[in-house]
Amino acid sequence: MSRWSYVLKRLVLAVPVLVFALTVTFMILYLGPLDPVTAVFGQEYNPSDALQLRKDLGLVRADGSPVPLWEQYIDFMVRLFTFNFGQSWVVASEVSVSTLIWNKVLPTVWLGFWSVIVALVVGLPLGFYAGLNPNTGGDYLASFGGIVWRAMPNFWLAVILAGAISQGGFLEGYRTWIIETQVIGTPRGTLETLLMDVELLGIAMPMVDPTNFFAAVKWILPAALVLGSSSMGNEMRIGRTAVLETINSNYVETARAKGVSSWKIVSKHVFRNAMVPLLPVIMGEFYLLIGGSVLVELIFNINGLGRLFISAAFGADVTVLGALLFIFVTMTLVFNIIQDILYTMIDPRVGYESE
Amino acid sequence: MSTTTAAEDAPSARRSEGEDLTLRERIAANPRPALTWGAVFALLVALEFGALASGLIVLTRTAVVGITAVIQVALEALRAPFEALGLEPVVGIVNDVLGVWETSQGRFPVTSEAGDISRDTVGKIAESKRHDAPKTFSLLWVQYQLSDFLFGLQHFTESVPTLLNREVIPNQGFKTGPAGPWKNTFLGLEPAAAWAVRATLVYVYAFLTMFWVFKAYNVYREHYRVADWTPRDDVVDRLRGHRWGQFGFVVVFMFVTMAVFAPTLGPTTAEANIESTYQNEVQYFDSESGQVEEVFVGQANAGAKSKGQGDQNVGPLSYDDYGRYHPFGTDVNGQDLFTFMVAGSRISLFVGLIAIGLSAFVAATLSLLSAYYKGLVDLATVIAADSVIALPQFLILIMVSVAFQGHWLSRVYSGGMLIALVFGLSGWPFLWRAVRGPSFQVAEEEWIDAAKSFGQRVPVTMRKHMLPYILGYLLVYGSMSLGGIIIATSALSFLGNGLGINPPTPEWGRAIAAGRNYVSTQSWHIATIPGVMIVLVVTAFNALGDGIRDAIDPESEGAEGGGAAAGGGG
Repeated sequence: MSRWSYVLKRLVLAVPVLVFALTVTFMILYLGPLDPVTAVFGQEYNPSDALQLRKDLGLVRADGSPVPLWEQYIDFMVRLFTFNFGQSWVVASEVSVSTLIWNKVLPTVWLGFWSVIVALVVGLPLGFYAGLNPNTGGDYLASFGGIVWRAMPNFWLAVILAGAISQGGFLEGYRTWIIETQVIGTPRGTLETLLMDVELLGIAMPMVDPTNFFAAVKWILPAALVLGSSSMGNEMRIGRTAVLETINSNYVETARAKGVSSWKIVSKHVFRNAMVPLLPVIMGEFYLLIGGSVLVELIFNINGLGRLFISAAFGADVTVLGALLFIFVTMTLVFNIIQDILYTMIDPRVGYESE
Repeated sequence: MSTTTAAEDAPSARRSEGEDLTLRERIAANPRPALTWGAVFALLVALEFGALASGLIVLTRTAVVGITAVIQVALEALRAPFEALGLEPVVGIVNDVLGVWETSQGRFPVTSEAGDISRDTVGKIAESKRHDAPKTFSLLWVQYQLSDFLFGLQHFTESVPTLLNREVIPNQGFKTGPAGPWKNTFLGLEPAAAWAVRATLVYVYAFLTMFWVFKAYNVYREHYRVADWTPRDDVVDRLRGHRWGQFGFVVVFMFVTMAVFAPTLGPTTAEANIESTYQNEVQYFDSESGQVEEVFVGQANAGAKSKGQGDQNVGPLSYDDYGRYHPFGTDVNGQDLFTFMVAGSRISLFVGLIAIGLSAFVAATLSLLSAYYKGLVDLATVIAADSVIALPQFLILIMVSVAFQGHWLSRVYSGGMLIALVFGLSGWPFLWRAVRGPSFQVAEEEWIDAAKSFGQRVPVTMRKHMLPYILGYLLVYGSMSLGGIIIATSALSFLGNGLGINPPTPEWGRAIAAGRNYVSTQSWHIATIPGVMIVLVVTAFNALGDGIRDAIDPESEGAEGGGAAAGGGG
């Protein structure tokens, strides 16, 4: 099997996986004991309102007879795959789900982006340092720190950090450091003014406003640190062992014997090969972000997709939940495929060894 | 080492037909070491027989209710399509088997009533009068009968006196004067000291028992084993030199001890201090009136709240105004945080173990099937596993918890059963990934071919010749996933709103939620201590997993020994 047919095979396999995962979602939402009518109207509702809602949700036909489950299922799948998400019932009454999601996507992407960056910038160098200096005090400190850091529950870390910064705790100085910013809440004002128009040679050009940019980064950084915590620990751990493994390999020894400079050995041979086991960890961060963003957004009061999910779940807003799950699962699969493609590029052995 | 001693102990027996003797015959030939070991062990068990037996019975009851609940869910799911098609006779048969009956309030397959482990089911039904007892010989009837029988047994064993008992070493007493001596405490010590004595003794006892159980292996190895050496000896030796894994083991053991001895360990009990505070009273010396007064625990709790400002704080290692000692301080409701934590460790462990057991079962079955049959079976398993992994686990957990709110399943073990089931059914692909490789490896071995040509039945081949090979890996990754389950369970309880473990049953995450607004006040302990405990326990489960992996598979030591550096080569 060639390398690219391996990727193609993964691509084809993603389709049944998506269908299967969405079927599970459908079963939880529609086969489970969830009742959207009581979620919208409460325990005592007007029967005609309830009937209208059931009709709008596609649970009963116009003449009041129930729609069979398999028809609901096909309808559910077709709507998702054609990106026709319908409208929300509880979270924001009669607003289309696409609008709802689109409005909340920016804070979550901003948070996710910085959590990946923070984890990479802190985790990888620490791991590489520990791997290049094994069994020293610094290695023990970094390794132990990584293990404990990884075991910390996100929600607890968020509670402690939010408390220490915003409730007059020992990190209170962070808020007034360089620029006065908040830490709790959505950095909405600063996010939208991130770009400013600059007149350049008579043409208006969008440019990043440095002050607002810094403020927005500073605002999100504590939440990003929490969200990236477990990935940071993972990257550190795997990075350390990957470096340790390559540095003791024969080709590195050969290069050293030939007289290749140690910087060149580290940059060309050690790091590149160490990236192979690190890639799934880095790409796997995305998976951790989805679950983690719910708790972190709730505690830091960021109005993003995670909080949308929670309010949709508490309100039993079936359409919003279905759409969010569809987006999350699709994104996970897309990231998996990107990972496979990157993998085949970094490591030429992929695809051959599975034979 | 053991070669010489073994040879000296029973030279004649070994040389003649030693290898053919059963273990019982070998012990009969040289009973002394076994008897010594057995006598000490019997003494250890006798000291705490009541507590150990009741713990065992609670576990059995959990298993009975859990297994019957799973069958119920399966049958209910089977019933749904027949109901949709309007096939009343089939629905009726399923209902008869289940033991379901209809009332004006809906349908009642009330596992929740057997699932409440602190009450007997029949008594509860009689009290609530919501419905009659289930039909004889139905599934529900079996469940109720077994559950109530075990409940009676549990009561009986709890009445058997034990050495480490709240009554033997009491810590709840009161001062007789402003500076006067303590009354009703152990040897008149102050409550802190009395509690410390009891807690220390519990742990001394637990570690002694554990040591003695390990001793059994040594006794067996030295005196009764036929082979001088088996591969397992190397595994044990490697574990002996693995400091990091030992750290994990000790902390995990302390956690388990905490769960097993929860009612004895706390300065008070969850029942008296958290669940029914107005059915229990506390005596204390009132400095204003100058005499000993008696109030309800609920009233005392109201005066011992930790809420940050002013004098509303009872920190760790301190007494409240009612002469009650709080090792971890009190929470926002004035309840003892240490009692809350020890009671909460029970449910965390329950949920974790049930979930891991279920995941491991599914993962092992699927990986063995796909390794044996390959082809289409393998492809189907891969797709199923990839799909389950693609669903974000925590979000599914939230969704299922919301969907099942108000359903009887969400009341079994205060909601712990539902969480465990979701974890079990969504967590298996992670374990499956870990054992898939080893399963395929063992399926290639010649002995599998031999078993096939010999005509051995496939399930037997899998169980006898394939499963032992992957069991170690299951243990390693099971231990590592347990930490994640503990974190997610507490995260769910942290969210509240009907998710997670239902109050008032203590769960660590709820303490963090209660204390989240007091992190930078003097009541910092409420959110901090439970968090630190979670970090410690999760780290320990990871370390234990590392240790077992390095012991069973030394090749991997260099590959992923994040903590192995601290252990050093054994």
